[in-house]
Amino acid sequence: MSFGFASPWWLLLAAGALLPWLRSGQPTADYSSATMIPEDRLSAALDRGLRAFASLALLALAAGVARPYALEQWEERLGTGAHIVLLMDRSSSMNENFSGRYLGGTSGESKNAVARRLLADFVQRRSDDLFAMVGFSAAPRYVMPLTQDREAVLAAIDSIGDRGHGITNIAPGLAMALDFFNGKPVTGARIVLLVSDGATRIEDESQDLLRQWFQDNQARLHWIYLRSKNSAALGRAPTGSSENASSEYLLHQYFQSLGVPYTAYEAENPQAVEDAIADVERLANQPLRYFEKIPKQDLSGVFYALALTLLFPLLAAKSLEVRRW
Amino acid sequence: MKPRFGWPFAGLAAAAVLTLLAWADPRIPIEQPVFRYLFVLDITQSMNTRDYHLENLPADRLSFAKAAVRRAIADLPCGSEAGLGLFTTQNVELLFEPLEVCRHAGVIEDVLEHIDWRMAWAADSFIAQGLNSALRILKKRDSGLRLVFLSDGQQTPDDPVRPEIQAKPGEFQGLIVGVGDVKPVPVPKLDRENRPQGFWETADTLAPVTTTAYLDASTDTTHRHKNDGTLYLTWLHEPELKEFANMSGLGYLRLDSPSALSRALRNPELGELRRVPAGIGWLLALAAWALILWPHLAPNRSLRRVSG
Repeated sequence: MSFGFASPWWLLLAAGALLPWLRSGQPTADYSSATMIPEDRLSAALDRGLRAFASLALLALAAGVARPYALEQWEERLGTGAHIVLLMDRSSSMNENFSGRYLGGTSGESKNAVARRLLADFVQRRSDDLFAMVGFSAAPRYVMPLTQDREAVLAAIDSIGDRGHGITNIAPGLAMALDFFNGKPVTGARIVLLVSDGATRIEDESQDLLRQWFQDNQARLHWIYLRSKNSAALGRAPTGSSENASSEYLLHQYFQSLGVPYTAYEAENPQAVEDAIADVERLANQPLRYFEKIPKQDLSGVFYALALTLLFPLLAAKSLEVRRW
Repeated sequence: MKPRFGWPFAGLAAAAVLTLLAWADPRIPIEQPVFRYLFVLDITQSMNTRDYHLENLPADRLSFAKAAVRRAIADLPCGSEAGLGLFTTQNVELLFEPLEVCRHAGVIEDVLEHIDWRMAWAADSFIAQGLNSALRILKKRDSGLRLVFLSDGQQTPDDPVRPEIQAKPGEFQGLIVGVGDVKPVPVPKLDRENRPQGFWETADTLAPVTTTAYLDASTDTTHRHKNDGTLYLTWLHEPELKEFANMSGLGYLRLDSPSALSRALRNPELGELRRVPAGIGWLLALAAWALILWPHLAPNRSLRRVSG
């Protein structure tokens, strides 16, 4: 953690804290002969105490005015919803047109645009869940940490309307998505929500590793499949020996072999998202403590409170002050 | 008989009330410049070059640029917005649309921290196309958004044809930020786990050997004679970046220190006046400070002895 002052020049005010030590703030009272007053230890101590209070109050106010702040703080939060990593395909194949319809979208729309509306819809309707986001094409990109900051997640989803670039390389993306769960206690449903057109394959070696990680992290996989005009439905096995299995079909087969709960939704219509949301709702969750980075924190309130507590005894002393014999 | 509670007491009581109000953090809307920036970071491999030598700051260009952006965002007044994007090859991709910098400081910082050269979807680096791509993105958003394009200007591979920057005068505002030093240095070669693998050699970046039915690359000596085992050197291509800045109507700043970028981005010319709630607690606290100090300023009128 690091501290700083937003306007450090005001710290010069702290010099004012010296003044109470030079001059007492009490009004003088006339007395015939000061030498006649006996020396009083208690009075002396009281006087020093009052000066110290005034001095510290001035210091605290000066520090407050300079607006101290703390950076890099982590705050413990309590979440109750599911933990969902949105794994978004950002490859160039996503720029192609979508074959179905979604929320009045026409088939002339790119898969990116459809995915964006679909995810925004999903995130807005699941208000208690924590969301993270990973984008992937040739390489995975860390887009959002696991957070309850809905506005930020939506800002990330909003930006996927732009064109995607590069090839589809799904394995590192899945690995990064699973990494969000790694080493953390399992307290609720963990979901990797993949949004992809599936135009990819995973090498055998990665297949085994990913299977292992899915099982270790007890994560489930939901795949919202965005179909292009020329690609096949997921469940359709190749017919006859003359047809090659499509990459989507193979990916679907692989996901079914993960050993964790897996559901595919074909985003042909709004019903797909309804189904996905309903499935998430069925999962039980326990509250989870987690840490979230919090913004730069203004600490001036602490100093004002301190000044206030010092002012009360001063005020009490002032009210008891004898102003005339 | 004077009243029991006189002016000194009233002064102190007022100070206490003011402090209490200051603690409550009152805010009133005040017109002040706020800024909306889209930060685009070059994540090509030349940005891994370590040519910054400042204490407590990272040496490689990308980390240094990240540290500077982080500082600049932290220094922006509340109500300002920042978005993050990546540049590699010829394209810019946004990670998220601009977010308010105070309420979302946590996530913005976290995402910035995770930006890494390994996120690149392809190698190569065509700066002008990248800048055009960033400007296109800017054009699609509203006009208040300013671009901050951080790059070392290292073009790989060399492209003899420099494309035009597609910008009308006055269309865009912002800054091109030159990252790195003007002295040529080698580019570290890192593997996927970020382990150093030596440096890039000139031969690595030459055009790939392509053989087609009509072209046998082995007979093409234009590339080969440069293949002499020398290290591939990179430096901050300042003249080019300045030219791009000129053509696109953006400003140019060489990134020497994080504070310089932060200052440049708080230039009121880049902001727009908006009514944002501004804290006035500090003014109240200042008044309280004066009220407490005031009785101590009065000179001692006569001898007063409490302590021996």
